[in-house]
Amino acid sequence: MLLILIGGALLRISLTDMYLRYVKDGLRPALIAAGAILLLVGLVSAVRDGIQRRAVEPAADAGHAHAADGEPVAPAPAADEAGHGHDHSAGPRAAWLLCLPVLALFLIAPPALGSYTASRSDNVVAKPAAANNDAGFPALPPGDPLPMTLADFLIRSVWDTAAPLKDRDVQLTGFVTPGKSAGTWYVTRMVISCCAADAFARKIEVHGAAAPPTDSWVTVTGRWLPNGQVQADDAMPALTAAKVDRVPTPKEPYE
Amino acid sequence: MNVMFEKSAPPRPAAAARVAPPPLRGAESSAATAGSAAPGRPPAERWRPGQLEFFVLALLVLLFAQPWIVDRLGTPAVQTWATVFVAISVQALPFLVLGTLLSAAITAFVPPSVFTKVLPERQALAVPVAGAAGAILPGCECASVPVAGGLMARGVAPAAALAFLLSSPAINPIVLTATAVAFPKQPEMVLARFVASLGTAVLMGWLWARFGRPEWIKPMRRPHDHGGNGRWENFRLALQHDFLHAGGFLVVGAITAATLNVTVPKHVIDAVSGSPWFAVLALAFLAVVLAVCSEADAFVAASLLGFSPTAKLAFMVVGPMVDVKLIALQSGTFGRGFAARFSSATFVVAIVASYVVGWWLL
Repeated sequence: MLLILIGGALLRISLTDMYLRYVKDGLRPALIAAGAILLLVGLVSAVRDGIQRRAVEPAADAGHAHAADGEPVAPAPAADEAGHGHDHSAGPRAAWLLCLPVLALFLIAPPALGSYTASRSDNVVAKPAAANNDAGFPALPPGDPLPMTLADFLIRSVWDTAAPLKDRDVQLTGFVTPGKSAGTWYVTRMVISCCAADAFARKIEVHGAAAPPTDSWVTVTGRWLPNGQVQADDAMPALTAAKVDRVPTPKEPYE
Repeated sequence: MNVMFEKSAPPRPAAAARVAPPPLRGAESSAATAGSAAPGRPPAERWRPGQLEFFVLALLVLLFAQPWIVDRLGTPAVQTWATVFVAISVQALPFLVLGTLLSAAITAFVPPSVFTKVLPERQALAVPVAGAAGAILPGCECASVPVAGGLMARGVAPAAALAFLLSSPAINPIVLTATAVAFPKQPEMVLARFVASLGTAVLMGWLWARFGRPEWIKPMRRPHDHGGNGRWENFRLALQHDFLHAGGFLVVGAITAATLNVTVPKHVIDAVSGSPWFAVLALAFLAVVLAVCSEADAFVAASLLGFSPTAKLAFMVVGPMVDVKLIALQSGTFGRGFAARFSSATFVVAIVASYVVGWWLL
């Protein structure tokens, strides 16, 4: 039964977009396959064990009916004996712990990581290869305002010496993390490489607009505010906002 | 009755029947079973709380703590904990399924003679061969534990199986590629990781061959092969048993890792980044508590600014071999005594290997 439960839960989160809160999208086929295998094995086990119990149980018709349900009834002597099995098996007892993630998943429905984690993590803007060669960065694509990922914005503002962000209106989408001093806030995206356990944050300080509620999702339209945070891999670039719009939580919350 | 399922099957239906009734009725019937079963058992057998007792206890705790719990559920720390816990479990499950599939296939379809042919007879030679063979299992560490268990069950020398267990999550092509992507300007990091991980795995295999005692490994009891079963039936039983067994312990590991992930403040780790000796120890320790999947740990290592390359190497060598999730999995598969000895020894060897290789290559 546990196998069916786990398999079903895996399928449930991987066939909807729920899995994107916890793991990278590349893991989806593996999740679906694992869920299907568990479900299959669970179903086969349920059928086989049912049949086998019926085969070894020389009880009356009533006993057959119950055994076929996969739920041995306490008064039947055969079922009583089966009850002893639980004593000397550390394995399946530990297996019941597998219910915990399923319970957590459907009772709490843990949200994607938000400002709590982001406030404990700092920018890491690795020097890209383009910053080392002579050709430098390619030109920014057209668009006014230009929608960018936070990663692009960070790299361009910190490492692109041609400063292409100057005098360009850009659009960044992320959630709101309050800053260390009152009144400041960051537009933030978390980045995961495998699952939420390895997440770190990308943050850009927003000026010129009051902070929306913490953890709400916003699209900030504005311009790069050169604040001297360049050429360092722990830089914290800033943006002067012209407009801040509330947006719904995106399907893929991580970047 | 039901001899075939001596280990795996009976607890499940029994538990289902006992857990199904509502808690109040359950409490009564538990007392009844405990009382009535006693005369039938040998008097030496201690009364041990069963699933039902735990279930009732848990429900009672939930019942009384309910207002407190509801209050706490909304706090960001608890939600973050739940997210990380679910994420680790979800991420690990496909690899655990892959590992148990392989392990069950080894048990059901590969005759033991294959391994005696492939592996050199002398343990000292079999260890490096098995270590290098780790490169072919494209998974992270959750897959390697059940596979190593399956290999041992099939008569492979424990020393060789353990070398495989340690090397496969660290030196397979997926992990090495991820490392190369994470350190674009330091290709020597990939080589250093390969050398240090394989070195640690082989050394641990030799150490086990020299000093290890067979009784330290608690043999995993599997469903018995009664000959009457078809191969597919054996395959299914082994798969079901291994998965449930390892899965439970995986959850223990995920709970521990999520708790440490949320509670260990990052600035404590950052504070020691300046000291070359402490930095290595600090990152090795971080690798143990974070329990990041070996396919992603290179990215985490790359994001740890201010640490020496050797410290980052230690993070990537220790992580796939020793972490709280793995310790839980190993305790489940090979016994607690084994996990304590083996993990602490591996931790020391991995740090030494990182120092040596870091000094040599980085």
